[in-house]
Amino acid sequence: MNYIDSLKQRPKLLQFVALLIVFFLLMQMTGDYHSLIVERDSFAKAVASGEIEASVGFTEALGMLASGQLPPQLIRIPELSFYNLSASLSSTSLLIVLAVFAGMSYYSHQTSISKGSWVSKQYRHLFTNSLTALLTGLLIMPTLFNWLFGAATMTTFWEIPRLINELAENLMYNWFPVEIYDPEIEDYEDSALIKELTRSFSRSLLFLIELVREILVGGVKTIVAFTSWDWLEENKWAYWPALPWTVVASGTFLLGYKLKGLGLSLFAGLTTIYIAAFGQWEPAMETLSLVLIAAPVSVILGMLWGVLAFKSTKIEKTLMPLLNIAQTMPHFSYLVPVVVFFGIGDHAGAIATVIFATPPMIRLTLLGLKKVSPEVIEAGMMNGCNSRQLLFKVLVPTARRDMLLGVNQVIMQCLAMSVIASYIGAKGLGFNLLLALNQLRIGQALELGVCIVLIAVVLDKLSLAWADRQMDYFSNLNFYERYRYSILFAAVLLLGSLLAYIGSFLFQDGINYFYLIPHNKGMTTEPFWQAGVDWIIDSWFYSLKSFNEVLIINILIPMKTAYLSMPVIATFTLFMGVGYIVGGARSAIIVGAFLLFIALTQWWDRALITMYMVTFGVIVSVIIGTLVGTICVQNKAATNFILLVCDTFQTFPSFIYLIPVIMLFGITDTSVLIAVIIYATIPATRYTVEGLRNIPPSLIEAGLMSGANRIQRLINIEFPLAFPHIMLGINQTVIFALFMVIIGAMIGTDDLGQFILKALSDKQGIGNGLMLGLCVAFIGLAVDHIINTWAKKRKQTLGIE
Amino acid sequence: MSTTQQPVIKCSSLYKIFGDNTQQVIQKNDGKIDVTELREAGCVVGVNDASFEVYEGEMLVVMGLSGSGKSTLLRCISRLTDTTAGEIFINGDNILEMSAKELIELRRNKMGMVFQSFALLPHKTVLENISFPLQIKGHSTKDAMQRAMDMIKLVDLTGRENYYPRQLSGGQQQRVGIARSLAVEPDIWFLDEPFSALDPLIRKEMQDEFLRLQAALHKTILFVTHDFDEALRLADRIAIMKDGVIEQIDTPANIVLNPATEYVRKFTADVPREKVLKIESVMEEIGNLTEADLSDFQVPCDAIIETVAEKVLSESKPVAVVDQQNNIVGVLNCHTVIHMLFGENQVANA
Amino acid sequence: MKNKIIKAGLLAAGLSLSFLTGQAQAADSSKPIVIPTHNWSSQVVMAYVIGGIFESMGNNVEYVPADSQAVYEAIRNGDVTISHEVWQSSFGKSFYNAMAKGGVIDAGTHEAATLEEMGVPQWVIDQNLCPGLPNWEALKNCSDVFATADSGGKGRWLEGPQSWHGNLMPDRIKALGIDDQYVVKFAGGADAIWADLAAAKKEGRGVITFNWTPNFTDADGFAFIEFPPYYDGCRIVDGGDGACGSPKGWLKKAANYKFPKTHPAAYTAYSKLSFSTRNIGQMAALVDVDKMSHEDAAKKWLADNESVWMPFTK
Repeated sequence: MNYIDSLKQRPKLLQFVALLIVFFLLMQMTGDYHSLIVERDSFAKAVASGEIEASVGFTEALGMLASGQLPPQLIRIPELSFYNLSASLSSTSLLIVLAVFAGMSYYSHQTSISKGSWVSKQYRHLFTNSLTALLTGLLIMPTLFNWLFGAATMTTFWEIPRLINELAENLMYNWFPVEIYDPEIEDYEDSALIKELTRSFSRSLLFLIELVREILVGGVKTIVAFTSWDWLEENKWAYWPALPWTVVASGTFLLGYKLKGLGLSLFAGLTTIYIAAFGQWEPAMETLSLVLIAAPVSVILGMLWGVLAFKSTKIEKTLMPLLNIAQTMPHFSYLVPVVVFFGIGDHAGAIATVIFATPPMIRLTLLGLKKVSPEVIEAGMMNGCNSRQLLFKVLVPTARRDMLLGVNQVIMQCLAMSVIASYIGAKGLGFNLLLALNQLRIGQALELGVCIVLIAVVLDKLSLAWADRQMDYFSNLNFYERYRYSILFAAVLLLGSLLAYIGSFLFQDGINYFYLIPHNKGMTTEPFWQAGVDWIIDSWFYSLKSFNEVLIINILIPMKTAYLSMPVIATFTLFMGVGYIVGGARSAIIVGAFLLFIALTQWWDRALITMYMVTFGVIVSVIIGTLVGTICVQNKAATNFILLVCDTFQTFPSFIYLIPVIMLFGITDTSVLIAVIIYATIPATRYTVEGLRNIPPSLIEAGLMSGANRIQRLINIEFPLAFPHIMLGINQTVIFALFMVIIGAMIGTDDLGQFILKALSDKQGIGNGLMLGLCVAFIGLAVDHIINTWAKKRKQTLGIE
Repeated sequence: MSTTQQPVIKCSSLYKIFGDNTQQVIQKNDGKIDVTELREAGCVVGVNDASFEVYEGEMLVVMGLSGSGKSTLLRCISRLTDTTAGEIFINGDNILEMSAKELIELRRNKMGMVFQSFALLPHKTVLENISFPLQIKGHSTKDAMQRAMDMIKLVDLTGRENYYPRQLSGGQQQRVGIARSLAVEPDIWFLDEPFSALDPLIRKEMQDEFLRLQAALHKTILFVTHDFDEALRLADRIAIMKDGVIEQIDTPANIVLNPATEYVRKFTADVPREKVLKIESVMEEIGNLTEADLSDFQVPCDAIIETVAEKVLSESKPVAVVDQQNNIVGVLNCHTVIHMLFGENQVANA
Repeated sequence: MKNKIIKAGLLAAGLSLSFLTGQAQAADSSKPIVIPTHNWSSQVVMAYVIGGIFESMGNNVEYVPADSQAVYEAIRNGDVTISHEVWQSSFGKSFYNAMAKGGVIDAGTHEAATLEEMGVPQWVIDQNLCPGLPNWEALKNCSDVFATADSGGKGRWLEGPQSWHGNLMPDRIKALGIDDQYVVKFAGGADAIWADLAAAKKEGRGVITFNWTPNFTDADGFAFIEFPPYYDGCRIVDGGDGACGSPKGWLKKAANYKFPKTHPAAYTAYSKLSFSTRNIGQMAALVDVDKMSHEDAAKKWLADNESVWMPFTK
């Protein structure tokens, strides 16, 4: 009796229990269909072969329900059919667009209160108007026309990828053809306007990357950009020489010294020497040149959009969902569009990197700007700043802390992308790493991975130090003192070049070790690492094998089967129910909409498999992460150490541990899940540490004074208070896990990830890739929405933040 | 303070209403502002029909509790927020009609402002913070730094030029804020609760410092505070605000002696008058008294009562009150002082 | 500073455009031929070998890393000039898709006959783990040899990623009537297969996996299963019943459609170019066995085999 009373005190818990009961009841109601859905795709196959109906009539459905059996449409959502949405780009439809836009704008102008400043104040109307106009003209009107007068062909939701593809292909190859003279084939050629535009953009970007690259390792592309290949042909001497690695190493040393002091200079310098000595010089400089362009572009774009979002809530509101999607969408899903629109090469890698690295910068810029106290802004205004001065001299510098965090994120993301970017043409460490893995040379791959992490850390530290440097206004410097570092660098350059010149006579094997150490002539620790990996595999193989078998047979397969045997109505009930309990009807609808999108595609079964792997990965990661985080936070040194480990693993290319994991666990879900757990434990640990560290000390003191021992304190005070923050960590864990489950397709999975990889070679690669990417993103966003809403409410209740 | 002189700041019928539908409600009323109706429509009235003038070298203290609209009023006059209705003149120019460019010029040359939370730029050193407005104005770095060094000397922060704000105490930070606001030598000085965030002792010290500076600089000042004692201590005139309305605007003495409304009376009730009032506000007509009837001791008419009370009470005869030219302008009776010191009730009970 | 760089970039882009409109020439264009490198050794070495051949003819060459599936879209757009290893079974689909869209041409076939088929490592034969192999009928009796934890008691039929052949293998085991004994597992990529092979080797366990020849696994020995022979139209997608093995496959060369016009001489050489299984094996061995770098391996191969490649350039 008492127990029920206490339940009544907690209506949410009661609701949740009720929800679970309903959920499990629904799970039991699959009846005859059960055997069809436990194996992925067989339900769809049965429908396609006419074995079963995709849906039954209303009365029949009622009858089935009465007998405790769900009708088929509640088990798997049938294909949604609607009339052909043939997007039309004819002149008629463009006219309709213009007319609708003009009409709507006129109307909203007429009904506006402040006519004078209408344009500046109501530009959101302009935006929505143009969107409506575009929809009406390009989609709705043609569709209506087709329906009324044309041959109405049925299309389904499943064909959206094809439509996307056709639209993109039309844009890239057919729309607005312009005649371009191609001297190579001595003829005029039709080329689409968009293609020419994106290609000239690509050329400029590539020029920048190659400029930086050739300063570092030499080359002819920059010379060609200003002359031509023919000119180069006639002037064989024209070659931009590389900076000898000794010069770059001393240069980084000097830079580090100038910006921060001896510690940083030693670290940066030694890293450079490490890279050179281990023969990774050229690939490392290739990667670096890409990052040196992609990172600033991301930072500038991020700041720009962050500032715009800060100035206008409308932009913020439009931008936020886009950022959410960009951050949760797997990279592989936008590789094909990038290749189609921008071509293949370093620039494509840079663009993919920028897409991935900009969102956190935008978020952190916005966050930083929002935290600037209004009085500081007023102070700036009262000091007579115009809007530009206010932005650059007051707002941006004041928001610096968060923006620097953003820069840190950008650098980390840029290097984390280096492997994936090599799929679409980025040269450098990432490509070599893939190559090494394909030869199963894990030791070499490890060395490359270490290079990537080191470059990330050095760039991060240097950029931080640069942002922190202080000016001296009163010292009266003479010429030497003022330009000390430039002079020193000039000296180093001279010395290094001289050394390189001497080196060209010195070495016997035709390789000048003072100039460039070639890829395979450096030192290597490969045998050491290889031996380590071999040792692990040899000594652990059998015990892990039996563990693996037990895990797969007793946990993973039943779990996967359970997920697949969920009728669609049960999944919706569960997710929307949790959404409702946490955030009311609004959350339920949002979560439901995300799920509906996935359910309408033909990949629902695959999405369920993705969800199963994410669930398992998240559960284990959270347990490990919170445990490790809680233990480490008891000690300051351990805390710092664990945070360092988190940083390292976040940049360390996850591809590397895929291979040893396969060797230990085979091409199984276990391998994928191990990789997932390694990666997803990072945020779980980090947020636990942060959550526990940031508890107000007064509360801990209060706990101490009431005589709680350490464990009691942890359970009764620290955990409840840190819990909202830890939940945000779990949120991140889900996103990280999703990300890695998709990468897990490299091992071999049968979930959404496999199809995303497949999209790389599909006829409908763009459409399929994007739709699949959205499916993954929406799983992430549904969970994200629930957890974020909960954490926000909980934090409010607890009065934190 | 002669009224013939042109006021430096002049506001007339100033309104500031917050709320998304403000304009709609006003438009519906053909541009007339009906405060009650606006409140019913869910708008918040920040400033309600404020009119006043501030003259050169005068310090007007706007006093009110939080939410009374005093800071809003200040921000309207500095045009940090838009005004809903009314007019504001600075040196005769209507600033509400100024273009953004003119406004920036005005701020760069004529105005300085000090903020409650100091509002220093965290990424700049003391020196850079103080020279900031000068650099914004376009001074050369050398010039700006030189001038900033002078300001640092003025506010007594020598030796801390290269500190960052986070390395300074609250009082020191506000000195930087003051120095920054004075760097461009403004005519008009806005201070928005400059000392509220400081500890009582430091606050007292800063007030003294502020009076010292004002004695030397003679700026025209609009000073906002929620601390009535501070207002009494500093002000030439005080404007007391409640719910956006200026309840009374007068000299400290008049406010204490003749509170205009019940609200003001509540404020003044506990004010120790001897600490506020000057002798001239309580002295009596000299009447038919002669030199012989008066004691030899004389008091200046602008002295605060408290400072002379003991001496006056020890005299057996009434004390003569003299002006700056040493003319006798009135007399101070013993019982008046007792009355001031102990109040009516206490005297009656005794 | 940044501004200047951007301006310089725009200027350069403009300049390079304006220079492109210069005079045309009958000989090969001096613009570089873009050769893609993928993530397996023989392909990379061959890229450098072909690059070396082009260079010997006075052409400029550029290498760009690319995904082996996405590369055809890039050739179509002219971002990449050639692809010199089009394996029938793995990339035939992507290749023909791109050809159907236009922009890619078939530049002939290598001499090397390829076979892309299911098979078992040599030790499975040597230890007689499944008597009767490589005949496929033998598979009927030893599915347990190939079983793994997640294959549900059936034998695991390790196939490449689904992007390579779609549903070919599931269809085949069904058509052969062994779908109650085997289940297809799609690996994530070639490296996943190699890792699984390496682990199986350590353990000496049986494994049946998709593989091809020429490949570096040839060195260790690899036996391909003999399925019922392939004939045109035997596959389900071609209207057959699907109960057949893979054909002796081709290894084609693809090129951008402009390549013959821009670099006539180089194209002629490229279309003549044809490597044998032995040649490809040598190239791969230099890297995989001798642990040379890909560039060095290519140099060495070119130096050792002038008689092979010189005729192409004539």
